[in-house]
Amino acid sequence: MKVSIYILSILLLLFQETKSIDFSELKTKNTSFWFVKDNSIPIISLSFSLRGGSSQDPDGKEGLTYLMTSTMDEGTSKFSGSQLRKFKKLNGIKLNISTQKNKIEGSFQVISSQVDQGFELLDQVLNFPKFDKSDLEKVLKQIEASLKIDQSDLSTLSNDKFNDIFFKKNNFSKRIKGTKKTLNNITKDDLIKHHKNSFNSKELYIGVSGDISEQSIKKNIEKVFGKFSIENVSPSFEKFADLPKGQKVIQLETPQSSVVFGHPGLSRSDKDYFSFRLANYIIGGGGFQSRLYKEIREKRGLVYSIYSYPISYKHDGFIMGGFQTRNKSVFETVNRVKEEWSKISKRGITKKELDEAKAYYKGSFTRNFTSTVSIAKLLNIVQFYDLGKNYFSERDKIIGNLKLDYINNMIKNKFNSDNLFFLIVGSPEKQR
Amino acid sequence: MLLLSSSGVFAKVKQFSLSNGMKVVVIENDRAPVIAQMIWYNFGSNVEQKGKSGLAHFMEHLMFKGTKKHPDNYYSNFISKIGGSENAFTSYDYTAYYQIYPSEHFEKIIELEADRMKNLTLTKKNVEIEKNVILEERFQRIESDPSSLLDESMRSILYPNHPYGRPIIGWKHEIVELNYDDIKSFYKTHYEPRNAILVISGNVNLKKAKEIVKKNFSKIKNVSTSEFKETLDPDLNSQVFVEKKHPTVKQDIWKKLYRADSYNKSIKRGIALDLGMKIIAGGTSSLLYDEFVNRKKIFSMVGGFYQGLSRGEGYVYFYAIPNEKIEPKKIDNLIMDQIKILVKNELSSERLETEKKKYLYDSIYRMDGILKPSEIYGEALTVGLKLSDIENWNKNLDDVTLELVKEEMFKFIENKNYVIGSLQN
Repeated sequence: MKVSIYILSILLLLFQETKSIDFSELKTKNTSFWFVKDNSIPIISLSFSLRGGSSQDPDGKEGLTYLMTSTMDEGTSKFSGSQLRKFKKLNGIKLNISTQKNKIEGSFQVISSQVDQGFELLDQVLNFPKFDKSDLEKVLKQIEASLKIDQSDLSTLSNDKFNDIFFKKNNFSKRIKGTKKTLNNITKDDLIKHHKNSFNSKELYIGVSGDISEQSIKKNIEKVFGKFSIENVSPSFEKFADLPKGQKVIQLETPQSSVVFGHPGLSRSDKDYFSFRLANYIIGGGGFQSRLYKEIREKRGLVYSIYSYPISYKHDGFIMGGFQTRNKSVFETVNRVKEEWSKISKRGITKKELDEAKAYYKGSFTRNFTSTVSIAKLLNIVQFYDLGKNYFSERDKIIGNLKLDYINNMIKNKFNSDNLFFLIVGSPEKQR
Repeated sequence: MLLLSSSGVFAKVKQFSLSNGMKVVVIENDRAPVIAQMIWYNFGSNVEQKGKSGLAHFMEHLMFKGTKKHPDNYYSNFISKIGGSENAFTSYDYTAYYQIYPSEHFEKIIELEADRMKNLTLTKKNVEIEKNVILEERFQRIESDPSSLLDESMRSILYPNHPYGRPIIGWKHEIVELNYDDIKSFYKTHYEPRNAILVISGNVNLKKAKEIVKKNFSKIKNVSTSEFKETLDPDLNSQVFVEKKHPTVKQDIWKKLYRADSYNKSIKRGIALDLGMKIIAGGTSSLLYDEFVNRKKIFSMVGGFYQGLSRGEGYVYFYAIPNEKIEPKKIDNLIMDQIKILVKNELSSERLETEKKKYLYDSIYRMDGILKPSEIYGEALTVGLKLSDIENWNKNLDDVTLELVKEEMFKFIENKNYVIGSLQN
């Protein structure tokens, strides 16, 4: 496979370009949601998110949210775990609840002839999970095994270490899965309480696309999400202060070192968000076009893959990048990344690069409209980041209007090679 | 993992051929103005000569290096500019290139894809630089990952004679020796219209597809007549346990790999084995999972699956993650004894019907989107199945009886062509 990391960048908050999409905003008692009717295929896809996530786990109980979302479909008031699994199979139901740093995200799909069964199951899992002791023990063992597997995976290991050091005291340094020790501090009561707090309609966002009538989807959303608590919750997010600079090496015997790097970034609501994205696309973004890709892989063959991508949350953001290379070429590659960073900061980007980046962002947006899953997810994300109902029609214009001088000025202010931090895991050979 | 079958209901699938032997499949779907295009070549690492492992994959990397008419990275650059995405992959039996892009650029992308089938302008420098990239890729994917190293050893034992026993990316010592002339001759011999299947899925109609594809591809001539012959593997006469100990490993993992008949032998039997495996070992609702993870709490995970889409033999894969340290041989005994009991007592019509239902639902999900359908058709056709085989898949599924599933599972239990692997600290 040529570049595996491309997939990663799609998973992130990357909305590409703007063609209009016809959706309706529907309201129920406690919540509202965006909906696109699509009966070209007998499927209903729903995507929801709840602001919060693993960054909100209490000190000493890191991994609480992840453990909760991993145990919810292991048994509910009405179904045992094995009944749930059989019910899913029989009715063509797919349900996945995942924990991220800043949110809980759910993806639910059902074959349209089985819609009632589908929402009954969703209702059970979201509102009536049991967190039985034996189920908890089982899931804990699974998480512990996966933690151990993570430790022997060079790429995951380096990302975890980067996470610990880069975010320091910020609550984003809490690892999503926690550690064996913190997981063992979590009780059943913690889970019950945390479930009640997390599944709250104040910070809930829902997108739906598929083969169902407005009336029926409203009824089902009300049935499931109407049961969420309406108490005020306020997850707390702090800006990323004092991000580290320079480099740190963690020694490990491997034929290759894994390098993860970071740099300050912007929040999703920053006025320069798109300028920043375009600039990153040019230096380290997707496809086989970025400066890092060309200079480091294509011209010199130093790496198999190299990338950088901006991660922009509601409260703040950063750039993250990475590559793996043989121990003898680690520092050479690190220096080349720094060089590209200072080059873009000093000399900016060219008109041609800007035009191509704009064209990419405009052309790629329609890819989001090729499946009911991707449409539902897009509807969810646009609400989550508060991008506005006219986002779909405005986006092309925002990007189209960005001027070269303006972007170059932004780059000068925001991209600084001195602010890069490199975490190196492996046995890099000393320079010179 | 398996095929889709509901194609007739949700999408119109058409096929035509060019006089040079190239096959074209068109899957019309006008939900969004986007096309997913894949060109599948019906060869992969399986056609490499002994001693030249990694050549097919190396060639895949070089297919992005430009032609006389569209030099350097013109193609990739064009894809990016229109907001498209692209990638490629090499397997044992096939090599495929795909692009997802706004449908208004159909003609241009077809032109670019046709151009690189025969007109690459490779230099020695391209080859040398890319060799380093590939060595880095091997370090990243295989050498830094004990689990992948174990898989590599297991395959080399399971397939002592067939090219499936060699890693797709190549053995390191052989990648190092690959040169410009090897590449040139591989390209010339194998990148031929007669070896290609083009699958176009999304916002396109048959008439236009025919016109544009013919215009660009039918002038390409085949220059070689090389034919690929499958080699067969002997039955394994001894039981092999492969142990990989590595200091970075923190969690023991047990694996078992079998050779099994492919769908090319019999689609119906393949489906029967697939269904049987799903009931016994597929996911968290399987009988094995229930026994060992839920009830006995010996493993934190256990599962397995059948993969029958291959030109040569297919395979069955099992794995288990033990909660405590257990001898690999003991794990094997535990699992195999349990499978015997389950096949004998627990395979029921009810379980089979549930699994068939799930199978049909999955086939509907696979039609949500445009890339998946082209993957399914491309893969099936390159490993030797016919379009009609895919269209009749449902019928075969319907015809699978409980007796047939049992028969296939008993056959599986008797299968001695396997290797057991264990990853340990």
